[in-house]
Amino acid sequence: MRNRATTPLNRPKIRQSWSKYNLFNLQRLRNPPTSNRTFFQQKWTAKSMARAYHGEQVRESQWARMFSRRIRSVVPMNPLSLAQDDGSGVSAGRGAGLENPRERPSRLTPFSQMTFAPLERRLDVAIFRAMFASSARQARQFVVHGAVTVNGKKMRYPGYLLNPGDLFQVEPERVMFATGAPKDKHERREGRVTRKKMAQSQEAEAEAQEEGAAEGSGEKKESTSQEQDKQNENADPRETLKALLAQAKNIIADSKDVLPAKRKQELRGFQKAVKRVLSRAESSTVLADSLESQFSGLITLLKAKPAEKGDTKRSKRDQSSSKTTNVSESTPSSTTANDNQPGEALTEAFRQAAENPEAEVDTSELTDEEFDVLKQALVQMRDNPIDSTKPYATPWRPRDYMSAFAFIPRYLEVNHNICAAVYLRHPVARPGFSEVPTPFSEQVGTAAFTWYLRRR
Amino acid sequence: MPPRVQNHPVVNSLLPYLSSPSTSSSSTISKIPTKYSSSPSLQSTSRQTCRSFSSTVAARTKLRTEMFAWLNGEGAALKTHVPGSNNYVSQLRNKRRAVEGDEEEEGRRIVPPFPLNPNFLSQPILSEELRDAIYDRVVNQKQSVRVVSVDLGVDMRRVGAVVRLVELEKRQKQQGKSMALPYARAIHEMVPTTPLYRNFRDNRINPHESINDLPVHRLTDPQIFYPVSESCQFNRVDAGRVFSAAPALENKQVVKNAANPTEVISRITRNPSRIEKIGKGEDEQQVLQPADARIPHPHLVAHERYRLSNPNERREVMNAYKQRIREEENAEKERKRIAKELRERQITRVQPESSRFEFRFKDVVVSKETTGTNGRGAQAPGRRYGVPSYDRKKGQVKIPTRVEV
Repeated sequence: MRNRATTPLNRPKIRQSWSKYNLFNLQRLRNPPTSNRTFFQQKWTAKSMARAYHGEQVRESQWARMFSRRIRSVVPMNPLSLAQDDGSGVSAGRGAGLENPRERPSRLTPFSQMTFAPLERRLDVAIFRAMFASSARQARQFVVHGAVTVNGKKMRYPGYLLNPGDLFQVEPERVMFATGAPKDKHERREGRVTRKKMAQSQEAEAEAQEEGAAEGSGEKKESTSQEQDKQNENADPRETLKALLAQAKNIIADSKDVLPAKRKQELRGFQKAVKRVLSRAESSTVLADSLESQFSGLITLLKAKPAEKGDTKRSKRDQSSSKTTNVSESTPSSTTANDNQPGEALTEAFRQAAENPEAEVDTSELTDEEFDVLKQALVQMRDNPIDSTKPYATPWRPRDYMSAFAFIPRYLEVNHNICAAVYLRHPVARPGFSEVPTPFSEQVGTAAFTWYLRRR
Repeated sequence: MPPRVQNHPVVNSLLPYLSSPSTSSSSTISKIPTKYSSSPSLQSTSRQTCRSFSSTVAARTKLRTEMFAWLNGEGAALKTHVPGSNNYVSQLRNKRRAVEGDEEEEGRRIVPPFPLNPNFLSQPILSEELRDAIYDRVVNQKQSVRVVSVDLGVDMRRVGAVVRLVELEKRQKQQGKSMALPYARAIHEMVPTTPLYRNFRDNRINPHESINDLPVHRLTDPQIFYPVSESCQFNRVDAGRVFSAAPALENKQVVKNAANPTEVISRITRNPSRIEKIGKGEDEQQVLQPADARIPHPHLVAHERYRLSNPNERREVMNAYKQRIREEENAEKERKRIAKELRERQITRVQPESSRFEFRFKDVVVSKETTGTNGRGAQAPGRRYGVPSYDRKKGQVKIPTRVEV
């Protein structure tokens, strides 16, 4: 099916998409004028506006068959009020029921906003609503390309109507690609280079296997790397720690001033440094192990004992720590301005350590925040690695303008870790609230609903 | 879609990192966006600098310029998310109004994602802790779904779904399959979440969603004018009977029901198959029951009633509550067991020796209910003489309607 879901600027149409064009159109969307227009014209405009958003991939005749004039709704009940009276009060009095002046008038149920509720049952729309794809079209592509399972079985029909209780799952890699920021041209080039290298190395391996006797060069390389390691070993452990922490801090500080390429360099450097430190302890398998063991390995290596912290230092830094705990708890992307403080504490500690080199290396000077920094950097490195073979920019970050479209309707229960969701029930309207996400006002919804009643 | 390939470098939009001074200048220009504001100065300068050698018409229209001006100016706030808070288009409008001096708008905290639709709100999702707590209670502590739902203020269907999803997540973790952890973290930062409170009573007071939703029944759609004498009691049970056109209850029955309403409701909820039916043939349907019986947690109504009648005996009330839930669960189990037995009885299983298959046979029921009066009913299995199958005809939809778990 050809994609006609364009987002033109001159005649704006709202689409099920997270693109910035769509955002701009959404921002300047106004209600269509009603004065000087016939009722037919109003309905036509409303219907065409609404259909451009709701299921534009569905043919009009197909949708006309799906349309149902009966709209599902619920009323939330209070068990206490049900227990207090059996409803006879409503029929008492003069027919309209006894009036209760304290009771607030219940809000109206927005039935007409639910016109397109049957379309929310479609698999492609549900995938878009669960935020697994950046547009309904992309969701459709995922389904057609076989990246989606329903109840554990591959489902290739985007028009599959989900039943309540159906569990659908999209491949996490696809979701990361759909929701992640795209690669820039340098990253694309990097990916090409690595791919070429991998192919070359594979070829070389194959050749080596064929010949079976080409080991001299490899040995040479290994020996040089070992020499380098030896040189590094001679360096002061204090220095290595300092460098490590500085790098960790830089990784965590997710400021926009730092260029992505530079951040990546730092991340890589940090990764290398951690590897180097760990390899010196001859526990090279640690990196493959869990994060906790990695971290504990690092700490034991650096002889850092956070429990044996000097009390005097602690009291000095109480103020700064109280400020920075918020920072370390909050997510890495928020730490921009306040992140300087643990860094200052760090440099001060190292300066003091440098002033009296007679004392033993005081890695116990590290505060909890600094350990947190180190730990966070490690976590981030494991969960969100740099990998130029991925189709999205690494380390993964959400694509631009994603948050403006971020909501998850209640009829879905989504587990984002594994990119799976359960379609709990059909969307319903309740007093003052409708569950079908639609960008249009009630005026448009009502007119579209009357259009499909087919009495035009 | 406007052309994706830019045939000239756009100074103010595409290279935010490299040309920071120019972005700032463009944002100052677009401070006050009117609907059809154009910025001719910007356009002319960009044309002069970039398009001196090209003879094709500039791809950048007025609207496009406007769009990039908005994206770099006001819309720049939407580019990246702010952890722990929403970041919607409507927020920009509120901010604009707040600048103009409207303080009421600023005070509103819940912002709809779509500026024109106040009826759709971004509702919170379950936080990781709450999800783990639900799983722990159901799987490890063996609490019933009903109890967990009431305690944590989460719908029963959602509780079931959470258990399924967490189970799946654990299995995938065990198998070493890839997961989308940074993505999940980002989503939980963008979307509001319901926390797990330290005291679970807080979760009951601030529930995730309303757990006692009464679905609006089709029979209640028409408006019915039904005269009732003033001396008569007319309550929810009677209203349900009127809606389903059932005759009014006898006075003796009414008095009996009024004496013990809890008993009546529990009898309905525990034996849903024994609800009185009305109508004939295809039109046969159950009499519409009162809301007390049709909500997901009818035992809560009984609990409240008991509590109102015994206001000072909290322990007694709690014990009765637990007892009621236990009875409910036992009745549920019994009902499921009977249904399963009934299903088993209809199936004949044959497993030939030296075969790894088990064959299950079920008797075909050919009756007026399955094949219909004319013998062409779609419900009944098998080919019937003179009844064509249309599955090779044009326009037949072959998309599966359900996937068995």
